[in-house]
Amino acid sequence: MHEISLVQGLLSQLQELARQNNMNRVVSITMDIGPLSGVVADSFRFGFEILAQEDDLVRDATLVINTTTVTYRCTGCDATQQTRGDKPDNCPACGELFLLAEGGDELILNRVEME
Amino acid sequence: MCDACGCPSPSDHAHGPSTHTHSHTKTVDVHESLFAANEAIATSNREHFEEMGAVAINLISSPGSGKTTLLEHTIEALKEEFNIGVIEGDIETERDADRIRAKGVPVVQLTTGGACHLDASMTHRGFHQLQKEPGGDTLDILFIENVGNLVCPTSFDLGEHHRIVLVSVPEGPDKPSKYPKAFTSSHTFLITKTDLLPYFDFKVEDARDDALKLNPTLRVLDFSATSGENFDQWLSLLRELVAAAKKKNSLQA
Repeated sequence: MHEISLVQGLLSQLQELARQNNMNRVVSITMDIGPLSGVVADSFRFGFEILAQEDDLVRDATLVINTTTVTYRCTGCDATQQTRGDKPDNCPACGELFLLAEGGDELILNRVEME
Repeated sequence: MCDACGCPSPSDHAHGPSTHTHSHTKTVDVHESLFAANEAIATSNREHFEEMGAVAINLISSPGSGKTTLLEHTIEALKEEFNIGVIEGDIETERDADRIRAKGVPVVQLTTGGACHLDASMTHRGFHQLQKEPGGDTLDILFIENVGNLVCPTSFDLGEHHRIVLVSVPEGPDKPSKYPKAFTSSHTFLITKTDLLPYFDFKVEDARDDALKLNPTLRVLDFSATSGENFDQWLSLLRELVAAAKKKNSLQA
C-alpha cells in the first residue's frame, strides 16, 4: 500500500502551496494517474480520504482523478494503439507480440483550487 | 539541499506555478509529478554512488525468493575481487544484516517500521551510515536489498544503476504476468533456486517468455546460488556491470 506514502507527499505539497498563496482551504485537487504508474487510483483515493480527515486544510476537498492513456508501439510494424486499460495481447495490424509502452507511467498533481 | 540530511544536492528544482485568481478562490496549475521529490533525492544518491565509483544494484522480489542467500554466495565468490557493501531493507529486525555482516563486508540494516518499500530518502540515510562502517567508503558494488514485495518497491527509484527482479522456482512461473511493473521497470530478471526444478511445475521458458513479452530488453538468467549451477553467469553479469561503471567514471574524470 505505497499509495499512502504518496498521499502523504501530496498533503505536504498542498500545505506548502496553501502557505505560499495565503489560502486556508483546498476546494479541489486534480490528478493525472497513468495505468502504468504502479498506483491504484482506488487505493490512492482511499488513502486520501483517510488522511484528509486528519487535516483541516483538505478535509472537505474534492479529489478528481483523470486516468491517462498508454500508447503501445508495435516492434514489428510500428503501428500504435492507445488504451487506458490492460496491455493488448498483440498488434491489431500485424499480430506481433512485442509491443513497447510509451507514457502512462505518470502520477501528476495537475491543478489545485483553494480559498 | 537534500531533504534527508542536508547534504548538497544538485537537483534542487524550483518551480513557478502559473496562477489565476477568481473572486474568492485561487486555482494553481502545478503540473508536477508526485514522484518528483523522490526522484530528486534518487538523482543525488546516484551521484554519491558514482563519486565513490560504485555500481548500485536494487534487488526486488517477494519475501523468501532468496535475495539474502544470493548476496551471501555472491560475497563469498567475489569479496577478494571487489569491495562490496550492502544496504538491507526490512520492516523489522537486524537478521539480514547479521547474515551479511558474518560474511565480513560493510552492511547497514534499514527497518521501515511498517512501510512496504524503500524510498530514495531512506536509501540516502542508509548510504551515509554505510560510509561510516569500516570499508564502507570505497565500494565497487553497492547492493540495496529492498523490502520483500513485488509491487510497491517498483514505483520508487533509489538512485540505483541497475534494477534486478528475482523469482524463485517455488513461487511459480506466472509472476511476470501477475506483477508486470516489477519486470517492465527492471534491467535483469533472475530465476533462482533452479536446483528445485525437479520438484515443481515450473517451466523456465514460460517465465522467460512472459517476462520478455512485457519487456523485450530484459536480461534473463536462471541459476541456483546454493548448488552453484549456472552461478557463473550471474558473476559474469556483475563483473560486466562493475567494468561498465569504472569505464564511465574514467571517461568523466
